[in-house]
Amino acid sequence: MNDLLKIQNVSKTYGKAKVKAVDNISLEVKPGEIFGFLGPNGAGKTTTIKMIVGLLKPDEGIITVNGVNVWEEPLKAKSMISYVPDSPEIYDKLKGIEYLNFIADMYGISKEERKRKLDYYLDLFEIKDAVGDVIASYSHGMKQKIVLTAALLNNPELFILDEPMVGLDPKSAFNLKEIMRDMCNKGKTVFFSTHVLEVAEKLCDRIAIINKGKIIALGTMDELRSHAEERESLEKIFLELTE
Amino acid sequence: MMRKIWSLIRTDLNVTYGLSSIAYRFKNNKNRWQIIVFGIAMLSLIPSYLLMVKSLDGMYDLYVLIGQKSMFLLTGFLLTQILIFFLGLLYVMSKYYFSNDLAQLIPLPIKPSYIIGSKFISLMISEYLTSLPIILPFIIIYGTKSDEGILYWIYSLLVTAFLPIIPLVLASIVVMIFMKYTNIRARKDLIRTVSAILFIILILYVQLKIQSIAQKSIIEGRDFILNLIKDSNLLVKKLGISFPPSQWASLSLANNHDLTGFVYLIIFIAVSIVIFVLMILLSEYVFLDGLIGNIEVSAEKGKGKKILESDLTKVTKPYMALAKKELIMLFKTPIYLINTVGGVIILPVVLVMTNVMGGEGSISSMIEMTGMGLDFITLGCIGFIVALGMLNCVGSTTFSREGKCFWIQRTLPIRVEDQIIGRLLSALAIQVIGIVAFLIGSAFIIKFDAISIILITLLGLLGSVPMTLLGMTIDILRPMLDWDNPQRAIKQNLNVLIGMGVGVLYVMGLGFLVYKVINKINIVLIYGLLGLIFIISSIILYVVLKALIKKQFEILE
Repeated sequence: MNDLLKIQNVSKTYGKAKVKAVDNISLEVKPGEIFGFLGPNGAGKTTTIKMIVGLLKPDEGIITVNGVNVWEEPLKAKSMISYVPDSPEIYDKLKGIEYLNFIADMYGISKEERKRKLDYYLDLFEIKDAVGDVIASYSHGMKQKIVLTAALLNNPELFILDEPMVGLDPKSAFNLKEIMRDMCNKGKTVFFSTHVLEVAEKLCDRIAIINKGKIIALGTMDELRSHAEERESLEKIFLELTE
Repeated sequence: MMRKIWSLIRTDLNVTYGLSSIAYRFKNNKNRWQIIVFGIAMLSLIPSYLLMVKSLDGMYDLYVLIGQKSMFLLTGFLLTQILIFFLGLLYVMSKYYFSNDLAQLIPLPIKPSYIIGSKFISLMISEYLTSLPIILPFIIIYGTKSDEGILYWIYSLLVTAFLPIIPLVLASIVVMIFMKYTNIRARKDLIRTVSAILFIILILYVQLKIQSIAQKSIIEGRDFILNLIKDSNLLVKKLGISFPPSQWASLSLANNHDLTGFVYLIIFIAVSIVIFVLMILLSEYVFLDGLIGNIEVSAEKGKGKKILESDLTKVTKPYMALAKKELIMLFKTPIYLINTVGGVIILPVVLVMTNVMGGEGSISSMIEMTGMGLDFITLGCIGFIVALGMLNCVGSTTFSREGKCFWIQRTLPIRVEDQIIGRLLSALAIQVIGIVAFLIGSAFIIKFDAISIILITLLGLLGSVPMTLLGMTIDILRPMLDWDNPQRAIKQNLNVLIGMGVGVLYVMGLGFLVYKVINKINIVLIYGLLGLIFIISSIILYVVLKALIKKQFEILE
């Protein structure tokens, strides 16, 4: 099976700093996989994600989505990707529904598809009553739900989430995990960063741990266990590797 | 306590002037040319400033001539303090109530008066930048020409240091009380926007009035200034009586050699301190009331309009959706509304007002006097609309206004063409409002025929296209995205100034061209020529902009 997301020898340095934020990393994610991206604060998780979604241009290396180079054919790549950033900064003067329609228009989503998706996700996240209000009046979690809903509208091949669980109530977090599973059952790919090791452990098919810009471990839970000395939990492995 | 206040002031200054971020940028060699451009812009103002100072010199002589030397100082102090008061109203409003650090400051265990106190002092420092260039020439001319002693200069130093306090305190009090009582839930933004627009109209009117006085003075020459000073002497005296602090300041300087001067100095300083303390005490009672309603956005959470079935199935073309989003943001963010829509409405309104109140200096009588033809006026109006295309700031801030939401534009699969057309359409929509306001306004002054109206509308809109594209080109080259108060995206955005500079050059260039050919070729050809220039420059800018957006969307961090 072809790789859906392929990162090859990608590096990124900010400004004139000598330290690389991301240092020559490579990884592949297969269709239908849930891929967890772990690492301590400042390890390079968000930088990597931003390079995939087109927010940061890599200094070196190639990133492809379904064979499409994201920096050479950005429109084609972006139409396959949905991205949920770590903080939901969205147009706060728009109403929720206006924002969702705006995103749907940008992806060119048809009338029927739009109605079906909106009906489903607005119910699922219980925000149907709120989307008539301006976004400025929303709580952090509600904004997060709007961003999630917007990201799910275009039925992405690759769903990228940066710290998606932050700010979600338990029920929504549960729903999101269900959505992620459901997506990969349909052959879609999910790539997300998280600090919640428990979530990664239970949800991910494969995990990469990044530290100081380098990938220091990559594989299934079992593979990771076999590398580390302390094997009982991902937490122990994580702590040992990132020391 | 002092440490708390000191720390607040330091942080506030740092945030306002971006000291840390400037230092960071300089270290990282980013945007160094930005500082250079700013420096050049400032330098270019020096000649006209020197000219003004020179005319002040002449004014001093005239005051000596009529034996009212101290009135010269009073004029300077009044001018400075009035200006500080009016600018203060705007600054205070945005600094006390609309800056985003409030959300972090309010929960801290500090009294409202500390917050206001620190913000006040930070504002005062900004006000020196306004007040010093105005008051210093007055003080220096007076001091050197009448050979004052050391005491004069010491007094001047003290008076200048305390000068912004009283007007700024008054502005603070007016704004705090205004905010407390306009804190009406649903229509808050509207009330504030309308008041702000009314206020700007007032300021513009005053500006135009001053301008017409200046024009008159050019026509009548030195006699006029003498007459004006004789007349305005009375005005200044009257104003001075109704606003004593300026009088105290000038009297203390003028009488520095005897006790009277010292007494006035003490009165001036003491009153400044007392009124400042009073304002701080008042802030304890009124500040939070005006503020809290400002932070809470809508108390009707969940009770908003129920969405309709049709809301879920509204499919729009990408560029239309983008234009719609831009317009919603422009109309719903008060500071954007005032600067864009407000801008294109206010200018025509002021035009009409000056005409109605202007008497012999009015525009209609000027038109009559010079015997200008309708075609000539139509051409002028087209030029005005085209210039408005840049002055409305929609194009030159379109990317900056995205701010922290810029990631949305960059991660969505939006074609560059849609980006340009969508944003252009939103700017043109604002221009349509401006044209309507302009045509209604000018109906009071001149009778346009249908052809002129059509020409102004069509060529005005067509000419607004290159203006907007030009603004967008400037903005995408150096978008100002790192802001937490929308004020900064539009008011403190250098792109607006650069855009206006380039836009004015463009319109002046066209004006010069028309002037050169107007008597040589048929007027219809001139309209055609203008249309052609607008189209060609639009196409060129479109191509350039397309390449730039593509590049910048990739490399911006």
